[in-house]
Amino acid sequence: MTATKITVDPLTRVEGHLKFETRIENGVVASARTSGMLFRGIEKALIGYDPRTALQLTQRVCGVCPYAHAEAAALALENAMGIRPNANGQLLRNLIVGAYQVQDCLFHFYQLSALDFIDVTAVLEYRGADPGLTAMRDWVRAETRSQRIFPAAPFLPRYKGDFLKDREANLSAVHNYLESFTVMASLHKMVALFGGKSPHPVAIEAGGVTTRPTINNLAQYRTLLNQVERFVHSCYREDILAVAKAFPGYFKEGRGYGNFLSFPYFPDSSGKNHLFAGGATIVGRHTALDLNAITEDHTYSYYKNKSGAVKPLGANRLEPLDWQEFQREEQLPDGKYSWSRAPRYGGKVMETGAAARVVNTYHSGRNPALNRLVDQLNRDLGIGLKDYNSVLGRHLSRYITVSLLLKRLKEQVEQVQPGVLGFSEKEMPRNVKGIGITEASRGALGHWVEIDNKGLIKNYEMVMPTTWNMGPRDATGQPGAVEQMLIGTRIADPANPLELARIVRSADPCIACSVH
Amino acid sequence: MTITLDRRKFLQRIYQVVLAAGAAPLLSFEELLAAEANPSSVGWSRPDLVWLQGASCSGCSTSFLNVEQITILDFLTYFSRVLYHPNLSSATGTQVPQILNKLAAANKPYILILEGAIPVAMPHACMMAHKPISEWVNLLAAKASACIAVGTCAASGGVAKMAGTLTGAASLDDFLKQRGIKTPTVNLPACPMHPEHLVYTLLHFIKSKGLPDLDDARRPRQFFTHSVHERCPRYPAFQARDFALRIGEEGCLLELGCQGPVTYNDCVASGYNGNTNNCVRAGHPCIGCAGELFPRARLYHTHDDPAPAPGVIVKRS
Ligand code: SF4
Ligand code: SF4
Repeated sequence: MTATKITVDPLTRVEGHLKFETRIENGVVASARTSGMLFRGIEKALIGYDPRTALQLTQRVCGVCPYAHAEAAALALENAMGIRPNANGQLLRNLIVGAYQVQDCLFHFYQLSALDFIDVTAVLEYRGADPGLTAMRDWVRAETRSQRIFPAAPFLPRYKGDFLKDREANLSAVHNYLESFTVMASLHKMVALFGGKSPHPVAIEAGGVTTRPTINNLAQYRTLLNQVERFVHSCYREDILAVAKAFPGYFKEGRGYGNFLSFPYFPDSSGKNHLFAGGATIVGRHTALDLNAITEDHTYSYYKNKSGAVKPLGANRLEPLDWQEFQREEQLPDGKYSWSRAPRYGGKVMETGAAARVVNTYHSGRNPALNRLVDQLNRDLGIGLKDYNSVLGRHLSRYITVSLLLKRLKEQVEQVQPGVLGFSEKEMPRNVKGIGITEASRGALGHWVEIDNKGLIKNYEMVMPTTWNMGPRDATGQPGAVEQMLIGTRIADPANPLELARIVRSADPCIACSVH
Repeated sequence: MTITLDRRKFLQRIYQVVLAAGAAPLLSFEELLAAEANPSSVGWSRPDLVWLQGASCSGCSTSFLNVEQITILDFLTYFSRVLYHPNLSSATGTQVPQILNKLAAANKPYILILEGAIPVAMPHACMMAHKPISEWVNLLAAKASACIAVGTCAASGGVAKMAGTLTGAASLDDFLKQRGIKTPTVNLPACPMHPEHLVYTLLHFIKSKGLPDLDDARRPRQFFTHSVHERCPRYPAFQARDFALRIGEEGCLLELGCQGPVTYNDCVASGYNGNTNNCVRAGHPCIGCAGELFPRARLYHTHDDPAPAPGVIVKRS
């Protein structure tokens, strides 16, 4: 038996500083460790701040999905205040977060993941007259001929591997890769129309949205939405299906525990009746959501002591290791290895994200349109619901999310009443707690806030999608969700572990979020 | 020939970015055409860039992708070369330290772009390729022709350095001073950075081989000479002492905590996302995201809050 170790540090094209290590036995991953390598400590630093800063500051936890933190923080404060935004406030908030979620899914597919599947060097054979592709071809040609130290960066070097073979499909994907930048900028404009700017939209507050909707900004929103729709239904759909058809094996790779957690997401104007149902699917059985089942553990995280299972707001201090302790743990064979903590649901490891959202909603039967779309894609691709627990299942689920969101955005933009302010103000309450839950692009996101007798933050807790996915082992030794996904994977070439990179990226890790 | 036409169209789109960045005085369309035909005739050379993320949220990288008219890759491949960017590079794992080490050893000019702050008191709070990010910045900044700090975290600490954090986050300037590194820097604060500010700074470098005109805080004067307040559409209301007491009201937002008077940035004049909007236009007080004291412990308050005047830092209990 031959054993090797593969360490990838950093894994690029994810958000933040991610490292992972696997032990390979006979070409197959026997064990894995995933590590978040950034700590800022923003969560507990919020203690003593005005609670309304949480909307702005928790956004800065992540520049890729700031909108979800703004929303979760707003919901937590509204929960504490006992208020809900009016219909316009809810709709405008949806227009902001919905557009942002679509942007983020496109960002994940094209910028972060596509280069693992498509072959950019196919552009060298391009003979057409598309200005983007010709510019890119001439550039790659000149670069590869030059004596430069890193020709064709940032596309090369890359892991060697089995990229898409079909020339036309590659060219079309490269074209769409370039095009997607412009589409994403349009989606950011849609966010900015009501959010003020993007990233870090400022206008989401507890009580609604501060931007007054006008006939003008609603019309601009509609125009941009139509452009985005065209791209999604032709380009994005084609590319995702091309990859799915060319790499069917990836509906089997990257299997995790198959336990899925998601929160109710994207309500109607009343704040109820969500497009995506929440809940937990454990061993194929869907159950209603129980927020009390959530705990976090930091046995293998770079904090002092072992913690065991701690409920949100159960700790108001986390003491990070100092440099010496950190180095000592790094040397230990079973030492602490991540800044991320390990969330558990009734003691179980859960996967969060697009696949969880789709699987839970499907099982709940609450959204027939989602079930129809899933059934149709399953027929076309010859897969079943259990295959969503895979690399391609996760990518496909993002397309499903985007497709349903766009339709809902189109309906909701028509429901906004121009001229009516979607914001109501309420005094900051004292000695209360609040919970806000939503879905970031990366999955289930919860904010917990406790407000003291002066109306300032007494404690704050954020449990992030990536913490669920990328968290380390817990006190009982259970591997985290992505660690489990890596175990059992066959590696063709340990020097080019493209299989592992594809698996980790499919979970769309965001390290800045997970460690905050 | 169609190809030539397309090429011209492509260059026109590139030039839109030059215009959007306010860099037309640096580079005319004719010069761009001439550079295309014969780069050396106009002293054209594309700088090599390496982009590192310290304690950051990647928001500035995301913001940079919002450049209008063309894809940012068109821009990057045309005006510069991105040797490494954490979110764009195909290189991963051991390929990354290889690139960075080779670059530091190559003795060729390059620009280091830093997004995020540097945790100095806790070097292990930001690790990459088994090394603290502070060591990578140290290695690459010392050899760089110039360093650009993008965003408030890199320029002055931002949320990474907010009161109550434990990592001892430093801005790029403070870090270089501590290490005695003399490489010239440019600060582009704002949370997130305006993509146009970076485009302008890079064009300046390409055209004049030097940095734009900077103020005492090493920010380009072009963008940071005026406060948000001075150019605010609500400034006439401020002068008339007409203050909004609630969100949604007309009038100056000062009573709601607006940080515009103490924040220098051009976001009111040029907006975000291709001038789609900005904070005060969205009915929200400026939260001072480009300021050195960002974030304060109170960023927005309601008129009947027992709140101190804007700008006063609330004591942490
Ligand atoms: S809203 Fe803010 S920036 Fe505008 S005039 Fe009033 S204080 Fe100045
Ligand atoms: S208005 Fe203020 S908070 Fe908004 S972007 Fe400008 S400096 Fe930042």
